[in-house]
Amino acid sequence: MNSSIIEILTPRYELAWYPWAVQYFFLIAISYSALLLSLPGTIGRGQLAQRWQPMARLALLITLTCTLVAPVALLADLHQPMRFWHFYTNATPTSWMSIGSILLPLYLISVLAYVWLAWRPALQKARAGSGFRPSIAKVLSFGDWQASRAILTTVALVATLFAFGIMLYTGAEIAIIKARPLWHTNWLPIMFVTTGMVAAAGLVILLNRWMSPEREGREDINRQGLKVILIAMLISALVATAWFVSGFSGHSDSVAAALQSIQANSDWRLSAIWALVAGVTLFVLAGLALKAGNQARSVLNWAWIVGLLALHVGWAFRWMVLMEVQTVAKNTAGYYQLVVELGSYGLMGIIGTFGLWLAALLLIDLFIPWQGKAQLEAQHG
Amino acid sequence: MDFARRAILGQIAKLTAGAALVPLASITMSSSAVASPINSQPARREGDASKRYGMLIDLRQCIGCQACTVSCHIENEAPLGNFRTIVSQYEVSNESTGDFATMMLPRLCNQCENPPCVPVCPVQATFQRKDGIVVVDNEACVGCAYCVQACPYDARFINKKTQTADKCTFCAHRLEANLLPACVESCVGGARIIGDMRAPSSQISKMIAQHRSELMVLKPEQGTLPQVYYLGMDERFLSRPQAEPALWDVRDMDGKEIGYEFLDH
Repeated sequence: MNSSIIEILTPRYELAWYPWAVQYFFLIAISYSALLLSLPGTIGRGQLAQRWQPMARLALLITLTCTLVAPVALLADLHQPMRFWHFYTNATPTSWMSIGSILLPLYLISVLAYVWLAWRPALQKARAGSGFRPSIAKVLSFGDWQASRAILTTVALVATLFAFGIMLYTGAEIAIIKARPLWHTNWLPIMFVTTGMVAAAGLVILLNRWMSPEREGREDINRQGLKVILIAMLISALVATAWFVSGFSGHSDSVAAALQSIQANSDWRLSAIWALVAGVTLFVLAGLALKAGNQARSVLNWAWIVGLLALHVGWAFRWMVLMEVQTVAKNTAGYYQLVVELGSYGLMGIIGTFGLWLAALLLIDLFIPWQGKAQLEAQHG
Repeated sequence: MDFARRAILGQIAKLTAGAALVPLASITMSSSAVASPINSQPARREGDASKRYGMLIDLRQCIGCQACTVSCHIENEAPLGNFRTIVSQYEVSNESTGDFATMMLPRLCNQCENPPCVPVCPVQATFQRKDGIVVVDNEACVGCAYCVQACPYDARFINKKTQTADKCTFCAHRLEANLLPACVESCVGGARIIGDMRAPSSQISKMIAQHRSELMVLKPEQGTLPQVYYLGMDERFLSRPQAEPALWDVRDMDGKEIGYEFLDH
């Protein structure tokens, strides 16, 4: 018997998670990925440290700024942000979100401590002279004592440990939601990490265009960033394939749900095509840029476009996963409409988060010698 | 394939409805004090442990008048456009004969035995009472909407007036005053039967015993063990039905939306 069904009256609910959630997941993923990118140049030894040091400078700047701004976006996604303290008075061991609320401040503190220790030698040197910057450096260096390398390494490893905690909780928080089959797959947390790495490397390349101090190191940074993008994209493609295969072998309803939405909804079709085109374009462009870079040609003037595209891929993946998936009604026919309003729950929220991040970046750039030796030498002639 | 899948789902539904019913007598609050792993059910609190409220909806009696929707709205003051209960109405047409029939499906919180919305709450604002009713303490709720995502039945929403999670509570405040929930009270066909499933003499217990093999629950494959049982259910409606939405976006000739009743912006 073939029958067609019309749902006569369909309530339309607003999406419960706002674009703020996308901003949080985006910034926190860049934060932990940039933290990992900063490690070889900061706590590594010998040649490895030397090769990755220029990259580490930018990565430290990125991890700090993103770590500072991400929790703001998370707070804004609560409908009762002033009640955030309930997370700590009513901690709940059964909830991944509650576990996250404990991990996040610990992560934030450890990142602050790590970046501060890494920047401290430069801060101590910057105390010389009078004026605004030296006085800030005086306050921020907290005295003359020297932190040993062991302390820096320990703090870096503690921050890394919490970074893995953040990866785990942000992924698990979404993946355990059985009610949304599109989220309910173990491949999703891995994909969050790999696309986060893509975006972080993209941001490194983008900032490298305008903020790196040394001309020579910049080509190296680009090459390293492009390599990271290529590898992370390759792993992402493998993960996506594995997800797809797991769907066909009947291990996951996630794939079937995705195909159903792509079949039924033109927005989804467009998004799927867009994702594929953006992913392939990024991979090809990154490959071309790396090839040109390896042939000792300068890619400085256009690699930033690859960086921008990498950021887009990382952000759009989160938009797709967190926002578009919410448009799938669980009971009723059709799809809820994804309306991005102008106000703080929509467009202003998105722009505002990026604005806040930019402000944090510029303030640090203005007052803190994050570029280390090179910056100090430049300032003192 | 779709048909076969639904037929299987129907079988699961029947079995699960049975399975959800059987342990009722044996459960009698085996609230184990084992340290709870992540995403497991926390201990229930408040409410009368000697009771287990449930609802049976006799779809043969429902005429889709939405009296329950309206009375619930008045009783619980949900904002316009949000519903603690609503009757989904479907027009089903047979493509070969052209005949059509109407299907009415009252929806509300299923007060699941294994409610996925409860363990995710990061501040224990939503919890299950000992009588099985899942409630929200909206003084504690931070409005993170995690529970809204976790409910497979779209039974939860963020109330714009309170900016906290909102849901059907079987009108717990009325039950405590020995009144029926607003939707039950106003149902013209007597389609909604609420009661204590632990009391063998209650109407719901008797009807469950009588119709045990015919009862179905929504989305049984989710493992939530819903405690709202449907009598006279069509298997095609257990999960999200493959349906076209009507009266959703009413647009004018230029494609501009003109007629959505609950549109407030």
